[in-house]
Amino acid sequence: MLQNFRLSMTWLHTWFGLVLGFVLMVVFFFGSLSVFDREIDRWAIPQTRFEPQPMPSFDTLLLPGLRQVQPDPDEFAREAPRLIDTTQAPLPARESLEADEYWAYTTHRDPVLRMGVGFKVPNPKDPSAHNHIHGEVTIDPRSGTPLRADQLKIGSEFFYPLHYSLHLNWNSIGIYIVGFAALVMLAALVSGVVMHRKFFREFFTFRPKKHTQRSALDLHNLTGVLALPFHFFFAFTGLAIFVSFYFLPVAHTQLKPLHDHHEVMEAAATGLPHEAAGVPAGLASVDAMVQEAKRRWAARDMAGEVGFLVVSHVGDANSYVSVYRAGSDQVALVGQGVHFKASTGELLREDPPRSAVGSVNEFLTGLHLQHFEHWLLRWLYVLGGLMGCVCIASGFVFFVEKRKKQHARAGSAGSRVVDALAVTTVTGMLIATLSMLVANRLLPADLAGKGDWEQLAFWGSWLLAMAHAFVRSAPVAQARLNPAWREQCWAIAALAVAAVLLNGLTTGDHLLKTVFTETYWAVASMDLSLLLSAAVASFAARRLRARERLETAPAPAHRAAPGAGDAAHA
Amino acid sequence: MREALLLMAAWAVCTLAMAWLALAMDAHWHQALGRAHPLPPARRRALRTAGALGLAVSLGLCLLADHASMAALVWVLLLSASAASVAFTLSWRPHWLRALFGVVGY
Repeated sequence: MLQNFRLSMTWLHTWFGLVLGFVLMVVFFFGSLSVFDREIDRWAIPQTRFEPQPMPSFDTLLLPGLRQVQPDPDEFAREAPRLIDTTQAPLPARESLEADEYWAYTTHRDPVLRMGVGFKVPNPKDPSAHNHIHGEVTIDPRSGTPLRADQLKIGSEFFYPLHYSLHLNWNSIGIYIVGFAALVMLAALVSGVVMHRKFFREFFTFRPKKHTQRSALDLHNLTGVLALPFHFFFAFTGLAIFVSFYFLPVAHTQLKPLHDHHEVMEAAATGLPHEAAGVPAGLASVDAMVQEAKRRWAARDMAGEVGFLVVSHVGDANSYVSVYRAGSDQVALVGQGVHFKASTGELLREDPPRSAVGSVNEFLTGLHLQHFEHWLLRWLYVLGGLMGCVCIASGFVFFVEKRKKQHARAGSAGSRVVDALAVTTVTGMLIATLSMLVANRLLPADLAGKGDWEQLAFWGSWLLAMAHAFVRSAPVAQARLNPAWREQCWAIAALAVAAVLLNGLTTGDHLLKTVFTETYWAVASMDLSLLLSAAVASFAARRLRARERLETAPAPAHRAAPGAGDAAHA
Repeated sequence: MREALLLMAAWAVCTLAMAWLALAMDAHWHQALGRAHPLPPARRRALRTAGALGLAVSLGLCLLADHASMAALVWVLLLSASAASVAFTLSWRPHWLRALFGVVGY
């Protein structure tokens, strides 16, 4: 029974791990980069390299900017025909939609500020639905000047969505794939622990000088076991963040009446109007409301800055302003909301401390989304994420090493294909990322649609890396190493160094300046991490060269017998 | 500044504790000291106790630096980071750990 159980766990771990490992690798790596998404944005958009700013004046700076915001053309084209009942009147012009909601969001790491408008659609098909089409703008909070929309924020608008949606937006399929992969990862963690017989005895064991199969398994176990709490927390909390999304099909059909009723009940309980009154009204000074909210936080002994600000039912008598405190000093994102009547500035409600369930939920989502101010913890997250990448990559290598001799004898292409895909997902992904950064520095700053060209560089170079991995894969069929691993390591080293040099040349923010004379850690750490990656990649390339030489030489004795522990990992 | 110092201390103690726990295992003891020195049972117990105490101290230091919720998170991740650095030291520079066992009375 036990043996059978272990075998079935092994089967599950091997095959599900292999198939979804490719997805998880992307999720882990871009998740690690997303920990420093704002800093990557600074590197990619040099004119935003200044100190983080607090939320500026709403009345004099944000409001005039918000009035300029237009509905997003793509979202309008997609959503307007879906939301608006065209049997009553033709589709309205995009510019004619009226604002219903204003918001502004910033954190302790944001020099620039994101804000946006939810526009109300006329003649909605379903009047009870949330009939909003959105528009967004990023501004320099010191002057109110908007940033050009086609300048891609590579960290927060490309790497971060890649982490949770793979940029597969059709019916949000990417989010479902990532969710399924997270679920499988939880299963892989459990089955991995069951398979790993010497869990405690090999706790600190990594033997790099043994044959590749043994070292790969050591590394796989080590990075899996030592970062087990991290892997578990992040797969679990990632699912927790999207749990309402994954149940959306159910929530939107069977549960919708209940959900709507709950919203009305909640509105009644909090005293915040759920519906617009339909009577126009003005907007009192929001800055005064912000002052009052800050005074109330200070009175509760939790003085802080504003993180999130929302005006609901804009221009209506029922309009209200919600001011939330930035969660720099707590795990939860934002909180301690204070709500005011928009037309008068009268206090409507101060949110009470969260219930136990509410705080657990906030802790779990906050743990994953990490908007708190704690640089050590941030770097530890990166470390955990990269250990996850090493775990998956060494899993691929072990899979191939275990089978390639047998496949070579049988003339099967199995391990050759898996190995080429592993090259694509491990080194190819790094090449794509670095190519995007290099393209960002090479393309002129005022190029129209610059962000699209950068994305083209990313996907194009990844495809090239894949082609290269397959073209060079022939030696695997003879149970040898694919030289693409080594060649792509050199490409990584070259691209990373090029990115650092180009940053220094095109912006003048070279490391001497960003570390010593005009310290700016966001850009300096980015450059230093790139140089470190280049060093690791060239070290790996040299070691791979040595292994390739060893293979072409007559086989040394210690490579012949695989270690005894390997039998557990079929 | 105080937080940064406390966290650095927590990290250092955590790594030290992980090294002691590793040395309490025969395989790693031999890696660090060579085959010629067996690991006496009393020394094993001492190393284990020191390791466990060290982990507790590092948790205490984390709690002094941050809120309890944040501190728990930092400590759990420090465990991973420290254990990994001990493991890689054992793979490439095992003799570095030789200096550490003396602290527990050789």
